Amino acid sequence: MSRESPGERDVTPNAGRDSTRERDASPRAHRDTGHERDRLRVENLTTRFFTEEGQVNAVESVSFDVREDEILGIVGESGSGKSVTALSAIDLIESPGRVTDGEVWLREPDLAEEFRERTPDAVDGDFVDLRRLPKGVRRSLRGPKFSMIFQDPMSSFNPSLTVGEQIAEAVEVQRRASANPRSTRSRTQGYGLGKLIVDTLVPGREYTSDASRERAIELLEQVGIPDPVERADEYPHQFSGGMLQRAMVAQALAGEPDVLFADEPTTALDVTIQAQILDLLRDIQRDRGMSVVLITHDLGVIARMCDRVGVMYAGEVVERGSLADVFEQPTHPYTQGLLGSIPDVEDPAPRLQPIEGNVPNLVDSEMPDRCYFADRCPKAMEACLERPAERPVDGDPDHTARCVLADGEYDPATALPDDYFEEDPEATDAPAEGGAADD
Amino acid sequence: MISELFGWLFARLPFGDGLRGLVSPRTVRSLKRGLNRNALAKVGIVVVVIVLLVAVFAPLVAPDKPGTQNLEEARLPPLGFTKATVQEVPVQENGSVVFEDGEILTENRTVYENATIAHPLGTDGNGRDILSRLIYGARVSLLVGFLGTALAMFVGVSVGLVAGYYRGKVDDVLMRSADVMLAFPSIVLAIALIGVLGDSLEQSIPDPFVQSGLSEAVRSAIGLPTGMPETTTLPGTIIVVVALVNWVWFARVARGEALSLREQSYVKAARALGASDAKILARHVLPNAITPILVLGTIQIAAIILLESALSFLGFSSANVSWGFDIALGRQYQSTAWWIAAMPGLAIVITVVGLNLVGDWLRDALDPGIEGEGGV
Amino acid sequence: MTDDALVEVEDLEKYYFENDTLFDRLLGREPSAVRAVDGVSFDVQRGETLGLVGESGCGKSTTSETLLALREATGGSVRFDGDDVFEMTSRERTQFRQDAQIVFQDPFSSLDPRMTVGEIVTEGLRIHGLADSAERTARAKELLERVGLSARQVDRYPHEFSGGQRQRIGIARALALDPEFIVLDEPVSALDVSVQAQVLNLLEDLQDDFGLTYLFVAHDLSVVRHISDRVAVMYLGKVVETGPVDEIFEDPQHPYTQALLDSVPRASVEEYGRRGGTLEGDVPSPRNPPSGCRFHTRCPHAREACKRELPPDYDVGANHDAACFRTDDTHEYWQSAPLEHVDDGGGSSGGGVADDD
Repeated sequence: MSRESPGERDVTPNAGRDSTRERDASPRAHRDTGHERDRLRVENLTTRFFTEEGQVNAVESVSFDVREDEILGIVGESGSGKSVTALSAIDLIESPGRVTDGEVWLREPDLAEEFRERTPDAVDGDFVDLRRLPKGVRRSLRGPKFSMIFQDPMSSFNPSLTVGEQIAEAVEVQRRASANPRSTRSRTQGYGLGKLIVDTLVPGREYTSDASRERAIELLEQVGIPDPVERADEYPHQFSGGMLQRAMVAQALAGEPDVLFADEPTTALDVTIQAQILDLLRDIQRDRGMSVVLITHDLGVIARMCDRVGVMYAGEVVERGSLADVFEQPTHPYTQGLLGSIPDVEDPAPRLQPIEGNVPNLVDSEMPDRCYFADRCPKAMEACLERPAERPVDGDPDHTARCVLADGEYDPATALPDDYFEEDPEATDAPAEGGAADD
Repeated sequence: MISELFGWLFARLPFGDGLRGLVSPRTVRSLKRGLNRNALAKVGIVVVVIVLLVAVFAPLVAPDKPGTQNLEEARLPPLGFTKATVQEVPVQENGSVVFEDGEILTENRTVYENATIAHPLGTDGNGRDILSRLIYGARVSLLVGFLGTALAMFVGVSVGLVAGYYRGKVDDVLMRSADVMLAFPSIVLAIALIGVLGDSLEQSIPDPFVQSGLSEAVRSAIGLPTGMPETTTLPGTIIVVVALVNWVWFARVARGEALSLREQSYVKAARALGASDAKILARHVLPNAITPILVLGTIQIAAIILLESALSFLGFSSANVSWGFDIALGRQYQSTAWWIAAMPGLAIVITVVGLNLVGDWLRDALDPGIEGEGGV
Repeated sequence: MTDDALVEVEDLEKYYFENDTLFDRLLGREPSAVRAVDGVSFDVQRGETLGLVGESGCGKSTTSETLLALREATGGSVRFDGDDVFEMTSRERTQFRQDAQIVFQDPFSSLDPRMTVGEIVTEGLRIHGLADSAERTARAKELLERVGLSARQVDRYPHEFSGGQRQRIGIARALALDPEFIVLDEPVSALDVSVQAQVLNLLEDLQDDFGLTYLFVAHDLSVVRHISDRVAVMYLGKVVETGPVDEIFEDPQHPYTQALLDSVPRASVEEYGRRGGTLEGDVPSPRNPPSGCRFHTRCPHAREACKRELPPDYDVGANHDAACFRTDDTHEYWQSAPLEHVDDGGGSSGGGVADDD
């Protein structure tokens, strides 16, 4: 996955933990060295939330790339920053959050051509950096380039509009955009202020064309909703959870996106319905040659769906690689622990091997200047007291881990004692010794 | 400074076992945070505290007796104002009136009456000191406001918790009767209830400051008029009536809370442990429902003060000193002495606004939805 | 089958009635029943863990709460240690409340936010008057230590704890009265996987140490497989298959169980690309459950007989029952015609077809 020589982009250990993390000297030294099938490259993405409790480091220098026609999985527990990563990539972070650093490179030759002269910083070969593009252009890419589906379909639809209308609306926006091919910047102008005012003043006004409506029904049919003509006129509450999730997929497909972010798309669903939605997602991805970023906490879903995997912990990608790399040769102890702590439906182990302790909260003032996982890690060593960089595992640039074990050996001589991290007896999350320790 | 005072106060109030969670450090923190964000809340607190202090220490702070009439000083304007009246007076020359065509010659002359420091807010139609009447009127208003709200809260919360917790027929019967109460305009309902109850519940309560001679001693020492009234009217009928009119709001809020709390797993867990319904209501449901009820309470005090004023204005109160009653008295002087009606009106507005500001602050600060843990 | 049953559930029914207020009756509306639990029978042997598994809305949680008499049953009986739970005298009921406990799914709503952890854990002791204040504090500390928390945390409030820690507190509360039987209602489904494993290990340790009997309600089949000795599978208010855990998972007899197992994604590389969506459609509404076998609207093997007749429990192995005609070689099922599935939606869908005027 890393296209540059190992370590080149590594974050200097002990770099200040301020919101504008210091980057290495040649941030774009890797120009034109990307994987030829890359569609999206996210580099050093960093997102902070500025809350009353203090600064929260939700996403910490995350890099990944999404290739054509593949499903990339991002797996992590709650609070690991996986959803915020997706929202950051498509510029949907809202106050008090802010993307403070990083680049999001999208392969978009037309745009690259358009901006090559004006803002050379934002262009790298066929790629454009979304964060350096004007806001309007960025927004116009949502829909035709990116789309997103969310965990809770019920709250993602407006309860007072029919499902058909809402999908038709999404189609309408895209239709108008493509009707005016001059420039991507004009894509949103079809739905301008005047129209907005008229639509606001005239309640219940049908502002979707028949063509959009027909397209909406077609999309509903494509996602496997029976009787799409009738169902299009129903309201979200008349849909079951599974059907509504299908409808959300249909809505996301309205703009024929190149990259689809699916944030826990099946978590709210029952297992038999989950299986249907996963099959649907895979079929759609295959048929359209889309790239999908699938965010989930469920390693089973990852195993069924994903070609490549990134594992997130405490706002960082701790390990990434192909499905086989991560599942069969997990290098980061967190990945190992995660795999060890899930019961296997086919082979019930007599005893689970949980990761002791709790997921840290990501308040900046409480984030230690060391490997974030060291306090729970069974292989914590003295070397872990420095922030580890992302390194290739055994020299394989497509399999990296943010761990000293990626290219080193566990050295019991420098192992940290079990109680090393318990210096603060008043810490709320004190019982790191967990359940297994007492017998 | 005020916020610190309140933090200190909240941490020490004897709320008892059931309500102790309310004053958890987190609650105090969010109350303080709300106060810092909301400057108006500070104003509200200051207003309410001043009105409360003045009402309690009325015999010490009132410049005059609320009932002393002095027709010579009637309708004196408040400080800063001069009352000008045009009078027809005989023209006098050398000490005798002048006749013209067999009639006494008169001329129109403007007579100026100046405010006096003894009556800073002026006097009413009978020459009574308006400030003193407002101070004593505050006692009536606040007594009715607080006791009426407390009674309404007690009745409403009891009914609401039982209805919400047991649901089914109990709920149907209790809440439908509540709906019937709501169908009447509150003032009409109140007048009807006063008609039924009469003044059977009126009480006079002795004033401890006067009874002990403390206020008299202080007043004579600093040269204020003595002989303050020895008792205060406790308008029992009005208190009961406003409570009967307003309990419904508490019942509805308490029912809603109970309906959702009864489904909380910890209530189920308590049942699984064998706790009785009474215990569950007292220990799990009421303490967790108390926040919205208290917030409603602050706002209801204001509403009840308004209702009391309206009833007094209409002459349905037996209290002879009351803001509403004084507005009614001032109505006939509207064109010549506006302050007689305006001053008690202003007192009502200031108090009610103050209470609502406090209520808003409590609502915002204690509402867990707004409190937010700031997670991601 | 009834060697040493601690809990025997027979034909348990829990219907909810809608449109049943005073107002509705004045308007003459018929109350409509939601059949959340519709004739469920199983038993839990002393010392074992019975897994009760099913999808959301199948009535598994309602079953567990009804059998503890936390909800009023509308039919059937539950015997605990031989005594009918619904007919107990108040003394027996008091004893039952000490012997049978429950741990809930949601670690956030299961603890009263205004009580300290110590008070929460020892609430049962206080209710039953079993200990004075000092003894309660001592016991609270002991229980907290036992579930892997620190005795120092006894005066903390629930919001100061993480989800996994709160679930430990809920477990400590259930242990306080030395129960024999604990209903675990989705105790780990709200937890992250790494914490889930900690809690599962704790539950297993406690069962060994105190000789507890568990009813483990869950929708996660891998967790059920891990912790259960026997499993009962529920679908739409009915138990469709019961049996020892290995048989259920390795040789499932009911088509629903088979489909359920098929849909679970496994966390291994072999899982890649496998299609799991063998079941079509949605679970029908319990307001208007399908006739005959509840599963016939989605079953890939459904025939006319399934629509007409409710299959009884067939014995398909040692302690292994399945409610499916396919396990009975002589049933008329084999002669009846297969159902045409696509047009046979058994719920909200379907309706006015081809009436284009």
